[in-house]
Amino acid sequence: MPERIVTVASRVGLHARPAAVFVKAASAAAVPVTIAKQGKDPVSARSILAVLGLDVRQGDQVVIAADGAGAEHTLDELAALLSADLEG
Amino acid sequence: MDTTTVLFVGAPLAGIAIALADVPDPVFAQAMVGPGAAVDPERGPLTVVSPIAGTLVKLKPHAFVVAGTDGRGVLVHLGIDTVNLDGAGFDLLAAEGARLSAGTPVVRWNPAEIEARGLSPVCPVIALDATAVAVCSVAAGAIEPGRTLFQWVARA
Repeated sequence: MPERIVTVASRVGLHARPAAVFVKAASAAAVPVTIAKQGKDPVSARSILAVLGLDVRQGDQVVIAADGAGAEHTLDELAALLSADLEG
Repeated sequence: MDTTTVLFVGAPLAGIAIALADVPDPVFAQAMVGPGAAVDPERGPLTVVSPIAGTLVKLKPHAFVVAGTDGRGVLVHLGIDTVNLDGAGFDLLAAEGARLSAGTPVVRWNPAEIEARGLSPVCPVIALDATAVAVCSVAAGAIEPGRTLFQWVARA
């Protein structure tokens, strides 16, 4: 399955605002996307509860994965989001 | 067979129940994190309690998430931009992973101190992964901890 390993840039990690922005983008994608901390079980990137539960901090590496038509493009977009500071 | 179950989400602390749209943070006000309501807390030392029965799945000094047995999660966020305080001013009364009843104390803080630092102490209470129409009967005006802040309707 196509995947990207991304270092999370937002200063607060994937919490309220950055998590909401990420989940909204993942929910808008045509294919289901998962997100995991490296070496841990993946969760749905469409669930704010699941994403908050990962407790991703700034500088943590996460693995996002998706399969199906458009998966590569979706992952590139989401990787760009995670690599940016979403606090602004 | 579909049954509709209603989760009564209690106010986590004393104050004035306000609409999410009136929260001074666009991400919460626009329900990007999820639908819900907010409490403008009393100024003074306050105990924050769990809004529902469930597991304390995430506990940060300035925010926590409780997930009920049916998997529905409620986020309580103590003040706006309070993550920047790095926990200063928050005394944790529960441990992550703990089983909570509705009304179990979780955090103690003083909204007056938060306000004195130039931050809003308004507390959004969010139904995670809920649709906007799932939140109803939102309270308004003075509210005590444990009184219903809003109802969360879900198909189960």
